[in-house]
Parts: sequence; C-alpha cells; structure tokens
Amino acid sequence: MKVDKTLVASVALHVLVLGWAMISFSARSYEAPPESLAVDVISADQLAKITAGIKNGEKDKPKPLVEKVADATPVDEAVGKITKKEAIVTDAGPDQTPPVEKPLEKKPDPPKPVTDSKPQEEPKTVEKKPDPSKVDPIAEALKSEAAKKPVPKPQAKAAPPPPPVKKHEYKFDAESIAANLDKRDPTRQSITGTTLNASASLGTHSGNADAIVATWKGAFVAAVRRCFSFPYNGQDSDQFEVDMDIQLRRDGSVASEPVIVAVRGPSRTVADAMAASAKRAVEQCQAYAFLPKEQYDTWKYIPMTFGLKDML
Amino acid sequence: MSKALTVTRRGFLMATGSTFAVLGSRFARAQQPRVRIDPTEFRPIPIAIPNFVGGSPADSQVGADVAGVITNNLKRSGRYAPIDQAAFIERITNIDVQPQFENWKSINAQVLVTGRMTRQGDGQLKAEFRLWDVFNGKPLAGQQYLTAPEYWRRIAHIISDQIYENGTGEGGYFDSRVVFVDESGPAERRVKRLAIMDQDGANVHYLTKGADLVITPRFSPSTQEITYMEFGQGDPRVYLYNIETGQREIVGNFPGMSFSPRFSPDGQRIIMSMQQGGNSNLFVMDLRSKSTTRLTDTPAIDTSPSYSPDGSQICFESDRGGRPQIYVMPAAGGAAQRISFSKDDPNASYSTPVWSPRGDYIAFTRQGGGQFAIGLIKPDGSGERLLTSGFHNEGPTFAPNGSYLMFFRDPGGASGPSLFTIDISGRTELKVPTPGFASDPAWSPLLS
Repeated sequence: MKVDKTLVASVALHVLVLGWAMISFSARSYEAPPESLAVDVISADQLAKITAGIKNGEKDKPKPLVEKVADATPVDEAVGKITKKEAIVTDAGPDQTPPVEKPLEKKPDPPKPVTDSKPQEEPKTVEKKPDPSKVDPIAEALKSEAAKKPVPKPQAKAAPPPPPVKKHEYKFDAESIAANLDKRDPTRQSITGTTLNASASLGTHSGNADAIVATWKGAFVAAVRRCFSFPYNGQDSDQFEVDMDIQLRRDGSVASEPVIVAVRGPSRTVADAMAASAKRAVEQCQAYAFLPKEQYDTWKYIPMTFGLKDML
Repeated sequence: MSKALTVTRRGFLMATGSTFAVLGSRFARAQQPRVRIDPTEFRPIPIAIPNFVGGSPADSQVGADVAGVITNNLKRSGRYAPIDQAAFIERITNIDVQPQFENWKSINAQVLVTGRMTRQGDGQLKAEFRLWDVFNGKPLAGQQYLTAPEYWRRIAHIISDQIYENGTGEGGYFDSRVVFVDESGPAERRVKRLAIMDQDGANVHYLTKGADLVITPRFSPSTQEITYMEFGQGDPRVYLYNIETGQREIVGNFPGMSFSPRFSPDGQRIIMSMQQGGNSNLFVMDLRSKSTTRLTDTPAIDTSPSYSPDGSQICFESDRGGRPQIYVMPAAGGAAQRISFSKDDPNASYSTPVWSPRGDYIAFTRQGGGQFAIGLIKPDGSGERLLTSGFHNEGPTFAPNGSYLMFFRDPGGASGPSLFTIDISGRTELKVPTPGFASDPAWSPLLS
C-alpha cells in the first residue's frame, strides 16, 4: 500500500494547526485585577436625612459678594495703555458723532444696508443745528467741515478699508511677543480674595453642613440629634454647651459611660440637666452600626459638644 | 554594674517611649475636632407615668388620680410629652422591684415614674415615688411623703416639681396657687369676687362675697397674705387679706385713692400708687412701722410698680413722656429710666409691668394698633418680644420659676375674660380652667 506523502503531510499539518489553536484559544486571557474603591452604602432614609434642609434655618451672616467689592477697583488703570481719545460732547448728543452718515443718507447711489436704520437721525441732527444755545466749537468745526466736503467723505466711508487704517494695521512679529505682553500688575485683585464668595450663604450655625457630606460623621450627628431632646425655653439657650467624650466598640455600641468633660451656661443646674440629657441621647441611639468598620480608628473615640444654638 | 547601667538605659528608653506614646495619643485626642450636636427643634421629653400602685385595693383610685395630676402638669408645661398609658407594655405592680427597662425603651420613654399610695393606720396617706432613667436603668430621684388624704393633689404637684426640676434643671412651679378675680353675672351687673385656686385650676375657693368690686390682687412672698384694691363705699382702697384667718385691713389711711399695690420681695413693705389731684405718685409703706415714703413726685400718673427680685429696683408705668411707658428706677426713688421704645409702632403704650422672679425679664401689656399684646423686655430695655396678641390680653403674672406667665384674655362682646398660661418662648399657650369668667391673676411663690 502506497501512502500519499502529500496527504500525510497535509493531515499532519492540519492536526498541528488545530492542536495549537485549541491550546492557545482555551488559555484564559489576562484580566487586570479591578481596582478596589471604598464605597459607603447608605439607605434611602439616610440619604433623605442627609440632604434635607432646614426650613426654619436661621440666616447666617452673608458673605460679601464680589460685585460689591469690585466697585472700588480703579478702572482707569485698566485702560491706561490705550491712547486716550477725548469724547466730543455736543448738544446734539452722540447721534452726531458719525457726521459721515448724513451725506451717505442723501446719496441714493450706494445702497448700504447700514443706512436703513439711520434715516430718522438725519432730520434730528439738522433740526438741532439751528438752536445751539451752547455751541461746542469743536463740534461746529467738524460739522462745517463735513458740510464743505460732502462727496469725499461718503467715498471714504464707502470704501471699507480706508488707507489710514491699513497703516495702523498690526503686523504680527513673533519676536516682539515679549514686548507686547501686558506687564501691568493685575488691577482687579478683588475677585481673587479667598473670603469672597459669588453666592450669599444661607443656613444655620451648624445646619446640615456636616451631614451634607456623606461621611460617618454626618450620619452620626443625624443619629444622635434624633435622640437629643432638651427643651429649654430661655432666650439664652445659645450660651449652654456640654463637652462629652464617648468611646465606641467596633459594633458601634457605647463602650463605657460617656464622660462629661465640661459644661457651660448661665445656670449650672440647667447645664447639668442638659449634660444628663446628652448622655441619655448617646445611650438611647446606640448602637451606631452604620459606622464604617474599616475606619474604626477614626471613630472609636469621639469628642462631642452638645449645644442649643439652633433650637429657637 | 555595667549590666545594671544597660538595663537602666533600656528601661529609661522604654519608659520615655511609652510616655511619649501616651502623651501623643492624648494629644491626638485633644486635637480631634469635637462633633457638634445642636437639636434643630424644640422636643419635649418623652415620659411614662403609669398609675401609682395602691398599697391596698382602696388606694388604687388615689394612685390613678395622682398619676393623672402629674401627667396633666407635665403635659401643660410643654417640656414633657407623657406617653399614652394604652401604649405601656409593662404593668407596674411593685415599685420595689426594678422595672423591665426594655419594655419602656421600646415605647421610646426616656424617663419613667413609678409610685405607690398607701393609707396608713393613723389615717394619713403615704406617697412614694421613683424616677428612672430608662436607657441606663439608673434611679434619678426618689422620695416619700406623708400627708392628710385630702392633700393628695398637693402631693402630686410636689412630685411633678421634682420630675420637672430633674429634667430641666429649673425650679418647679406646680406646687403654687393663683389668686384671681372671679366674674359672674351679666356684663352690666358683673359680680367680681376674689378667688384662689391651684395653678392648674383645681381647688377653687372664694375669698370675698362679691358685694364690693375688687381688682389687682397680689400675693405676699409668704403666700399667706394677699393685697388688693377694693371699691368700697368711699374711695377705692388697698387692703391686706390673710388667707388663713380671713382677716382684712386697710393698708394705711390716706386722703385720696390708693391702688396698684404690690409686696416687696421680703414681704415687709407694700408699694402702691396714691392719687393726688389729677396725678398719682408711687409710695412705699412699711408694714411694721406703717411709715410711708414717697418715691416719685411728678405731674403725671405713675402706677403699677413692681420690685426686682433682689429688691434693689422698681419698674413702673408712667405717662410722664406723653403715653404710658415702662420706667425703671432705684427702689428708694431717684432718676427713672424709660425702657420701653416700640420700634414698629411709635404710638404704642406699655402698661402693667411685672418683674420676673428670675430677674431676667419684665413682662408687660402693650397696646397698639387696636391690639393688646403680652410681651417681655429685659430690664435694660433690650430684647423686647411679644408672646401673644389679640383683641384684649392683659395683666401678666410670672410663675415662681420665671418660665411661664399667666394673663387674662377678653374676647369682647357678651363674653367674659378667661385665664391663660404661656411659656416665655411663646410656644405653649393653654387656657386655665376656671368655674366662670376670670381676670387679674396673680401667681403665688412656691408653697414649699
């Protein structure tokens, strides 16, 4: 039996290719390990509390707005380099400043779209001419000049690029960039202040400022606040404060009796009662199981201050 | 020697290291910012007050009654929120056994009151009570009292005061009485009698029969005497009335009308107004020597004087500036300083000033814009606040602890005036139950 060598070679080659393909395709591709991200999981209820505002919040001292401060900035310096061109003030008002428009109107030949809006201005200027009780000599000179040369001026206007303008056209020179840079000191420093804010601040002394940031601290404040009730009705309530230190276990329960560090207020008996109420609140609301266990070191000891600032 | 030295060095290093470690951790703690907690709303303290246990089955009713009075007192204060007894899980049957605090935690009670009323062999009533902190299971207060059975209500007020003081840190005010003018009959023939009652409106007793018109009754600091003004047969006069003996006497013997009396804080003097022609001035009379001293001498009407709690100053009403306003001056007389300046209504007038027992505020009646308002102002004239206003509110009087006011409100028309209480923040305003119409209340100091 004679075996076809080419057939054998073909079979061997196919087996080789298929075998290689099976091995290589079955190998698992390399997957980069996903980067771990710390995520705080909060309930819808917690989110609602965190983002809730305070309806009867006291208005804090509003920060000054930039616009008010900026009024004081010297405007003159900002345009100091520009050649100063004094404005010509006449009785006829600013309408007369472009005297060329008058003849342009009278001339029907060059139909300029710009002139459509100007026809009413012409009679005005003409009417105002005869009653110059206080005539500005410069304005008069300009007007008389315009009257003397009615034809060339419209021509000059009709040609969009007048020759003198070309003379002053800026020619870019890469080497003179440094020379062209504005070396003046910044004059509008008012907007760079750190204390200024574009929006006025609203809210209470503490408000929900802590709680708006979804940290353990905000959730902790919200939880303790829910249990803290000390119904003092005096107008000096903002003078009462209790400093208290607490230690927590990893499961969020209170590890030992809260320690009253200091009490402040016009009445010692009231401040003591408030301290007892604060202790009760911390014990009532435990365990604070929502505190992130991986950050235990940051909350195993929490120094607290209880006040009555926002109660009234 | 060298070994000992080596050990010492090591020990020194270890000791130094551990010391720095301890100091470091404390420093780190000290540096940790304090977490600030401010309650955003005024919330009363949830309290559970089960019926007091009866020492015998016959005492159960008085036990329930005492719990009822305590519940009513604390609820009316606005500082406590008594929990409905229907929500209680545990039934207190023996106050000597510690309650199951989990049962009270689950209904969100912060404090729990338990008590027992027992009739003794000699007929006296023994009252015991305990106040518990529900969340740490510790007793906060406990007391027992022995009294005649008819004074069970007073026992309830005393226990209420103890609970109130424990929770708020302020003095109580429940064990006090109010003297007022009871009004009955049609508006054109109104009979006005002097009456006295507990601060909650119970135990009303009439002190006069209504033959003569009486107004502005005021308690003495001893709570045993009342001074008031009565329109008798002649000029209206200031009288002194002893509640226990029923005796009454005219204060001084002055030629003209005397009115607006009030005791000094030590009870030894009475300050009042006396009419002289078209004017009236302030005088003070020593009750022992009966000597009288003039305090003001102006061509105006000076009236409604009231002492500061330390007796050093007097606030009063005067129209020396045109309209009636409130002035403050030394108790011995001298320069008076006006303290009432209405910012929103230049035509407003102020009257019936009364100094708080705490000394921090002067309460007043303000008339302006067709409304009568009850308000507070600090003795230096700052911090004026109106607590309530309406057609006719008048005659504020402070509770013994200075945290509440009582006043009368007259809706006008055929109706008559009623008494109301309001706390100094203006949050809690409640009507005081009286048998008929009532006006001119005066709150006594604490009875005990």
